Amino acid sequence: MNMETAVTGHALEQEIAQLIIDTLNLEHLSATDIPIDQPLFGDGLGLDSVDALELALALQKRYAIRIESDVKEARRHFATIASLAAFVEAQRAACAG
Amino acid sequence: MTEPAAHSAHWAAQKERGSFTLMWLTAFGLRRLGRRPMTPVLYVVVFYFFVFGRRARRNVRQYQNYLAAWSGRPELRATLRSVFGQFMAFGDSLLDRLEVWRGTLPLRDVQLHDPSGMRARLLKSTHGGRGEILVGTHLGNLDVCRALADLGEQVPLNVLVHTSQVAHFNRLQSAAGDHQLRLLQVSEMDAALMLELSQRLDRGEWLAIAGDRVPLHDGRRVTVDFLGHPAPFPQGPWLLAGLLRCPVNLMFCLKIDGRYQIHLEPFMDAPAWDRSQREAIIRNWVQRYADRLAQKCLLAPRQWFNFHAYWQTLETSDPTGEADAHPRRVAP
Repeated sequence: MNMETAVTGHALEQEIAQLIIDTLNLEHLSATDIPIDQPLFGDGLGLDSVDALELALALQKRYAIRIESDVKEARRHFATIASLAAFVEAQRAACAG
Repeated sequence: MTEPAAHSAHWAAQKERGSFTLMWLTAFGLRRLGRRPMTPVLYVVVFYFFVFGRRARRNVRQYQNYLAAWSGRPELRATLRSVFGQFMAFGDSLLDRLEVWRGTLPLRDVQLHDPSGMRARLLKSTHGGRGEILVGTHLGNLDVCRALADLGEQVPLNVLVHTSQVAHFNRLQSAAGDHQLRLLQVSEMDAALMLELSQRLDRGEWLAIAGDRVPLHDGRRVTVDFLGHPAPFPQGPWLLAGLLRCPVNLMFCLKIDGRYQIHLEPFMDAPAWDRSQREAIIRNWVQRYADRLAQKCLLAPRQWFNFHAYWQTLETSDPTGEADAHPRRVAP
């Protein structure tokens, strides 16, 4: 990974963190408060499955990507901000052809 | 006659094969012979299920007694005659349903109560605009709502049906001669389904979904007061509405004085929740829905076509000790 993609990746992670905060009204948090490898669900940030859906819908809209409805895959992609960023990156690349 | 044959506890787990054969024969007969010669056959079939459907009888009796007590109308209390009357109403609704599928029920006779102009919105929504949610009920005969589509054009309406019923319904429908309904098979209101439905709504399609029946393997339910006693209702329609900020309407189709009336009522324009209070807000919506449903039960007291134990979460303390206290938790 060269320096440039690393920076873009980081920016995307911040963006997604902010999207999570905005979508789920986590106003007491700021984007830097959520470590990118902290679990979003369960013990980590404490999101639940309805939050996941809300997030999936927001991501679809924001990045014009399509989140396939395979639940097991989605669970892996939605584990942390880092995995979400990687997923969005891959999906955008795929959608761009 | 699937539902009155309630030998096992949960409606989705009932063995429907035998009753399905009877229903298919009825459908076939209806198609060949028309309604009048089939009516005595129906009486026999209904009588059979009435006599042998002990648990269904008990459930109908419970419903009627709850309704009477809740509304303070003792004349609605269950008697042998009134319980049989509810079985017959179901048989009658089946005949009507088969006629709707054949296209021989005169839909011009159906009265539409649609003060908010919902039908026009539905027919327009293919030309831009967002879809809306129609929450239906097992009170009355939703199939008659096909009358809504009686303009000769394809209406962008998706009907969610529980998977265990779909195969039978499709076979029955082709036996009765109807091929138009767009049914979506649903076993669980999971994330995948929600995403799919959200895309359909964004495309302007509408969604019809029952608000009063909890699927077998669906953990998302909420218990609210219905006819004076706690009863489980599905969260699915309301989660969807809240997630998608999608308007919700109620749809009732009741047969009153021999004629069908469709009531379309706006329920929520722009549902929204505060995340921290989501559970409470959904419960609030469902309670409002249950209250509305209870009001409608008074308009057509015998058209409550839920023959399974509706209030069964309560029956842990049932003195008869029936083994159906928590059938919905049974593993697949």
